[in-house]
Amino acid sequence: MTLWDLSKNASARVSGYSPAMHSSIQTRLQEMGFAIGAHIVCTKRSPFGGPLVILVQDCVYSLERSLAEGIEVKV
Amino acid sequence: MEQALERIVLVGKPNSGKSLLFNQLTGLRQKVANFPGVTVELKSGKFDSYELVDFPGTYSLEAISEDESIAIEQLHHAMQEINTKLILCNLDGTKLERSLVFALQVQTLAKKHNKSLVFTINMMDDLLRFGHDIDTEKMSAQLGSPIYAISAKSLYGMSEFTEALKTHMTHPDTAKIAASEEENQIQQDHMSLAKSIAAEHGIKPDIVLKKQNHLDSFLLNNILGGFSFLLIMLFLFQSIFTWAAPLMDAVESAVGWSGSMVVAYLPEGAFADFVNDAIFGGVGAFLVFVPQIMVLTLIIGILEDSGYLARAALICHKPLSLFGLSGRSFIPYLSGDACAIPAIMAARTIESPRKRLITMMTVPLMSCSARLPVYALLIAVFVPDTQYLGGWVNLQGLVFFLLYFGGIFTALVMSKVLNRMVDKRKQSDLPFILELPSYRWVNWKPLLYRTLNSAYQFIRGAAPIIFTVSLVIWVLGYFPSQGDLNSSYLAHLGQFIEPLFAPLGLDWRYALAILISFLAREVFVGVLGTLFSMDNADENIDGLAAQLQADGLTAASGIALMAFYVIALQCVATVASLKAETGKKRYSWGVYIAYGTLAYVVSVACYMLLS
Repeated sequence: MTLWDLSKNASARVSGYSPAMHSSIQTRLQEMGFAIGAHIVCTKRSPFGGPLVILVQDCVYSLERSLAEGIEVKV
Repeated sequence: MEQALERIVLVGKPNSGKSLLFNQLTGLRQKVANFPGVTVELKSGKFDSYELVDFPGTYSLEAISEDESIAIEQLHHAMQEINTKLILCNLDGTKLERSLVFALQVQTLAKKHNKSLVFTINMMDDLLRFGHDIDTEKMSAQLGSPIYAISAKSLYGMSEFTEALKTHMTHPDTAKIAASEEENQIQQDHMSLAKSIAAEHGIKPDIVLKKQNHLDSFLLNNILGGFSFLLIMLFLFQSIFTWAAPLMDAVESAVGWSGSMVVAYLPEGAFADFVNDAIFGGVGAFLVFVPQIMVLTLIIGILEDSGYLARAALICHKPLSLFGLSGRSFIPYLSGDACAIPAIMAARTIESPRKRLITMMTVPLMSCSARLPVYALLIAVFVPDTQYLGGWVNLQGLVFFLLYFGGIFTALVMSKVLNRMVDKRKQSDLPFILELPSYRWVNWKPLLYRTLNSAYQFIRGAAPIIFTVSLVIWVLGYFPSQGDLNSSYLAHLGQFIEPLFAPLGLDWRYALAILISFLAREVFVGVLGTLFSMDNADENIDGLAAQLQADGLTAASGIALMAFYVIALQCVATVASLKAETGKKRYSWGVYIAYGTLAYVVSVACYMLLS
């Protein structure tokens, strides 16, 4: 499953990235905290498919659908 | 020749309190170097007898956009320069792991170039409030560089730090990067080193994020959050119109008063007329917008510094993305209802270069306040003052709303069109990921300085153009018949282009007023007033409206005119800002011509349908 499939207040660990994602974006996501194995919590889902809010360690980020679908997670 | 100052380079992750630290170290006098076409800004100021350069906040030394690669290229460049004596790397103490990932990259780079480096752990006031302290000595030994725990806000540790900074500058060897303990043990990569150091010294994330999450559960709530968003935006809208109005009136009367004082001392004749009309009239008319720009900068600054702006972008992202825009396009769009110039500046915060360009190019379609007098005049001529629903709905107000809506609608449609037209390879798109920073109180001093500076930047940027333009218009309108506009060169010009406006059912007087208003749309009312031999038409819109009615301006022509003014980009100052921000004439004069043509086509279509 991907980050986008997480429901509100669900937590998971990052397990990989979509092969379609550009490698520079992958590196940036890792630097921002979305490294493989990182514990994440979804703190908000927006109506109508708007960006979701993810808590990663010490930071809170808002990600849009296309990006969230590129991050694979395991519950 | 003046010797170049020894330099300190300040870097850090975004939202790490870096700007505030820069302001505390340099005071408020600072220079900003811009790179046209991108949002990269290098601020520099003086600390003691040294130059302090503030680099844009970034998460990594690996660029993912053109903006970032320019900033990083400049950083590499600064690292090589002999004048660069010290790298000052700022960390957010509440987000130690995230700050360290970038900090360790910078440290490696500094080491490669044999530069000295110190770390500051900022936001200590927040940490101490939670009863958390940092063992800087131990951490410093682990990292191999001096570390200072400070708060640029509460000034905790600042006096010791500034003294130490001076010592490091006179003896750069004191901050030479030592081989760190950790490095000797195992060759860890930056990310795992950041993790282990943060685990040892950092505060538990859930303690810091508790307040933020608590506020967000309200401000980002699907219902309450939407409601508070509307309230905050209503407040912004109110402030730029209602509160700025008395200030704008004050500027207008001050300019008028000083104009009359100066002219009283001048001998009557062409020169006095020139000073009165071209200088005080032309330049004064544009100074009126300064208070609005300042109020706008202030309120946006409050939203930005408090951390709400990122939340607003999150809320607006989905609806705006349908038109190829970003959530961050919302503030520029809203600001565009006051004035396109600060709105174009506000577009700087948009992460994707492509969406930023599209936002900047469509912002001028929002109904800015310079359109208000034109709308007011045309509505007074054609729309009866009818009340519906027991006075709750007024027909004139309804038309006002429709004109505003027309602007927003055109802007969104144009965004969609531009999204197809702008070359995807040339203007890269970035995915939307936004850090939601912790909520913080606003620091008033730097913000007020920024507000003043926005006025200065606006005047400096637009004044030369406005002055040149009003000079040319005045000469053409004054000669050869000593001030009689009806028989001037300008009038000949109006008669010459009259056929162009015949498809709108307008004669040469309107043609001339439209032509002149391509420089600044608000002069339309004044020019028509002069042509209909009315003084002070700006203050007596109803009087002028009555004259236009009596003169037989048809409703079809009136609606065509309204459509024209909704769309056309009639403001040279906006073109100048667009050119400065995009760095290309193609994008500035290009939209000027494109919107002018579109306005003409739409208004001809309106006239043909209605007459």
